[in-house]
Formats: sequence, structure tokens, C-alpha cells
Amino acid sequence: MTVSREELVGRLEADGQGAFVEWFDETDERMVINMGPVHPSTHGVLRLLLTLDGETVLECKPIIGYLHTGMEKECEDQTWRAAITIVTRMDYLAPFFNEQAYSLAVEKLLDIEVPPRGKYIRSLITEMNRLSSHLVAFGTQGLDMGAMSAMFYGFREREVILDFFEMVTGLRMNNNYFLPGGVWEDLPEDWERAARTIVEMMKRRVEEYEQLITENPIFLERTKGIGAITTEEALALGATGPILRATGYDWDLRRDMPYDAFEDGLSFSVPVAAEGDVYARYKVRIAEIRESTKLVEQLIDRMPSGDHKNMDPKITHPPRDELNRSMEAVIHHFKLSTQGYTVPPGETYAAVESPRGELGVYAISDGGSSPYRCHVRDPSFVNLQSLGPMARGGLVADLISTIASVDPVMGGVDR
Amino acid sequence: MTDVEIRSEEWLDSARELVAQGWWLADLCGVDRMHLGFDDRFGIAVQLLHRERKERRTLHVAAAGEPPSVPSVTSVWPTANFLEREAYDLFGIVFEGHPDLTRILLPDDWEGHPLRKDYGVGKVPVDFVKQPFLQIQGPGQGPNTIEAQQEVDGYGQTAKDGQS
Repeated sequence: MTVSREELVGRLEADGQGAFVEWFDETDERMVINMGPVHPSTHGVLRLLLTLDGETVLECKPIIGYLHTGMEKECEDQTWRAAITIVTRMDYLAPFFNEQAYSLAVEKLLDIEVPPRGKYIRSLITEMNRLSSHLVAFGTQGLDMGAMSAMFYGFREREVILDFFEMVTGLRMNNNYFLPGGVWEDLPEDWERAARTIVEMMKRRVEEYEQLITENPIFLERTKGIGAITTEEALALGATGPILRATGYDWDLRRDMPYDAFEDGLSFSVPVAAEGDVYARYKVRIAEIRESTKLVEQLIDRMPSGDHKNMDPKITHPPRDELNRSMEAVIHHFKLSTQGYTVPPGETYAAVESPRGELGVYAISDGGSSPYRCHVRDPSFVNLQSLGPMARGGLVADLISTIASVDPVMGGVDR
Repeated sequence: MTDVEIRSEEWLDSARELVAQGWWLADLCGVDRMHLGFDDRFGIAVQLLHRERKERRTLHVAAAGEPPSVPSVTSVWPTANFLEREAYDLFGIVFEGHPDLTRILLPDDWEGHPLRKDYGVGKVPVDFVKQPFLQIQGPGQGPNTIEAQQEVDGYGQTAKDGQS
């Protein structure tokens, strides 16, 4: 039975849910369809231009920019301290990593030290954040393939961790808690009990996730051998994080180029899988949840006492009670609040291992009180390039689980 | 900014050399060096990572000419594809030999390149001009804003504000 082009396109458009046929070739039956930008499985506003032969994906081209708000430009208009409020909104599932990378970069430029407690608090919070981010990845991976309970489980635990963030920083997301020189405020009184509760909870619950999904035959069928790439492809395309480690390449910035509390030699292993498919990425993430739980436990045990930030009055606000006693404190407070501190001219690049890979901040200072240039190398942005090779040759249904396994955060991609 | 600056003609050759030595492209971004004292206004900053040596390196490549142009290194490091498109989009740096040099973050019909230093931040000037109190004439009509439509300087200030 032959169908005319108009008829077919019309029928597809009428029946299609969000799909829109861009172009249809009658001779070889190739079709270019548009998926997104508002498709529930595309994790935000990701748009994919798919060239299809029936159900098979021949080409997959990500089109991004729907969430672009010019954050890098905005950073140039803020003081060095205030730019954190912008940076933290980029990768909104892992806000602390943005703040950490930015703070490390500014600290390098300022050439200041962070007291040990500040370093440990940062690492504790970021490891917690890695848990919460991987829980979203776990939940959405399940949700996109129809396992809705995975999302309920993942988001349930994430909520507890976000409550901990609220207790420490005052906000659930976009925390603005780290600053060049340490963290904004010391941990609250009851933090240790709350953090240990999370550790105990995660140890138990991660077993539940494994029982729920890891051996599930439907899950295995839809993830094993799907969206696979090799180590060479992953390295060439710049993929980092779980995507790279799932191909068998052992690389983790926390271990290989340590920063903050990892300089003290915490014991943890870097999970690696060999297959490079969706299932391998899932396994790596679950194993990372286990490792991060261990790390959080160690960081609680080894939490040093002392200052939580560099108390140099030139870069940090003086304590509130000093303002009543000291004129210098008032002057410093006024200068920092109105103008901010200046940073010596120079450039630097600092990178951290975010849940999605290498998150780097490249900052240039011209000696002024605001960044001259602040570029963020967001892992989701670079990782998205490997989506094309992953999807090629697979089915459209498999593409959904591949997107979920790349775990892009569009706030970070578009910045 | 002590690092070596590479001229754009040599960039592709040195990139081939670097990749043979095992350097991996971590990041590539455009920089408008208007106030930094370089000969050429535009350039790209390249972050390289050597995984065996655990070493990082920053390189600067000058983008001379109008429009500023640099050879593309997508053939050497395929990961440069999106990064170069981003630098093109935000700075207008043309990457010669790039397979698909189109805007990536902004709409295709966008005018200008927003991260250039001479491109404004996009603030909408807000006038704090005294408005007549409650002089709405009829339903659906706002206060008279003719007074607010006076000339605004680069800081969003009206001449009247400056005087008072």
C-alpha cells in the first residue's frame, strides 16, 4: 500500500504526541522528525532532530539553547562574591559543585587558604549532593522506562537530603553556601545526627533500589547493550563522569587530582564498568551512591574543628558582634558590601568531579572587583555530544533510556 | 596571563602535536581581551588535560582579522564541536573548517554576539520619575508616561536624575 507524502505527514501530525514531521523522503522512506523541546522524557527543554528509518534512528542531532539566560555574561556584572548566586543556578541538580568549582578558581586567583573545617564541610555537602543528584538520575531512568516506583523511591530519599541542605544553608536548591575562602556559615548544632541518619538511611535504601530494578528482566532488556559507546569514542567526544567510567576508563578527579578534603586521602574506590551501555552507566551510578555514602561517613568522623572560612577581613565579612566594637570591622563591612574585594589580575581553571563529570570554571580577572570572564565547562553540555553516537542504529524507544542515562541537566547545558 | 599565545596559523599544527603527546581537550572558550592588553582583541582560551601526567595546561590562541577567525580543531578533538559553536555564538569567532558552524545557544536570527565587551548586559532602564498620583482618566488607562520617555544615558539615568 502506498501512501502519499501529504497524507502520511498529515496522519503523523494528527496522531503524533509532540512529534512533528520536519521532512519525509518517499523514495527511501527516511523521515526527519522533531522530538522536544517539551517532551517529558527529554529532561527539560532538550530538542532532538531525529532522522528515522521506520523505528531505527539513523541520526540524532541535539538542538539546545532553550534555557539560555546568559549567565556567564551576568557573572561579569556581579562582584566576585555575588557571582556565586548566578553560578549556583547553572546545574540545578548539583548546585554545590558549581559553587565549589567557582570558589576553587577564585581562591587560586586570590591565593588564599581554606581552613580544614571549611574544606571538610564543602566535601561533606558535595558528597551529599552527589547522592541527591544520582537519586534523581536513578528515579528518572526508571520513570522514563515506565518504572514509576523508581521515581517515588529516588525522590523520597532526595527529599531527606534536601531537608539537610535546608537545615545547613537555609535553602533546598540554589544554595549560595560556598564562598571563596570556605563556606558562608558553620554547620548548625544538630548536623551530625541529621547527617548520620542520612548515611544509615542510604545504606539500607540503596539495597532496596537494587532489589527493585537491578535484576528486573524488563529493565535488563531495555538497558543492556543499548546506547553503547567505546572508551575511544567517549574520550574523543569529551565525555566525562559516569559515561566515561562506564566504558571502562578509570578516571576520577577526586582521586587523581584531589581538591578540598580529598587531599587528605579519604578511602574510597572509583566504580568502573566495562560495557559502556545504559546498564553500565546505571551500575556505575548505583556504585557511586554506595561510595559517596561511605565518604560522607568518613567526613563526619574526621570533621575537624576551627574556622569554617578564611577569616581574612579583606575578603570576608567580619562577625556581626565585632561591628559593635571595632571601627575597622565597620569599614571592612562597608567596603565588602558596597564594592566587594578586588582579585589580582590573572587567569585560572579549576575543575571538580560533579555527578556528571568534569565541571570546570575558567575565570579571568583584570584586577577589578568583578570577574572579567567566567566560563563554566559544564559536563552536561559536553556529554550531550555523545548522545548522537549512542543513539545511532538504535530504536526510538531505546533513545529515551539513553537520554536518561546521559542525565543531562538543561540548566547546565544552556547556562 | 603569563601563558604562551599561539598564532592562529600555527594552531592546527600544534593541536595535532599536542594530541599526539596525549593532551585531551577539556575546555575551549572565547575571550574578548579588549582590556587585557593583547594585540588581537579576540582569542580563545584552551584548557588541556594530560591524564597520565595528571597535568593541566592553558593555551591562548589569537583570533586575528575581521571577523576574528581561528582554524577549527574538530578534526583533532571532536569534542571541540559544541565548544567552538558556543564561542562562535557568543563572541562571533569564526572557526574555519568547522562542520556545522551555527548558533548553538541563541536563536538563529539573533543579532550580535552577547559576550563581547561592547554588547550591553541588557538592562532595561527604569525611570524613577515622579508620577502624578492617581490621575487615571478612565478604565484601562495608565498614568501619563510622556514624562518618562525622556532621554536615558548609558547607565539608565535620565538627565533629570543626575541634576537632582
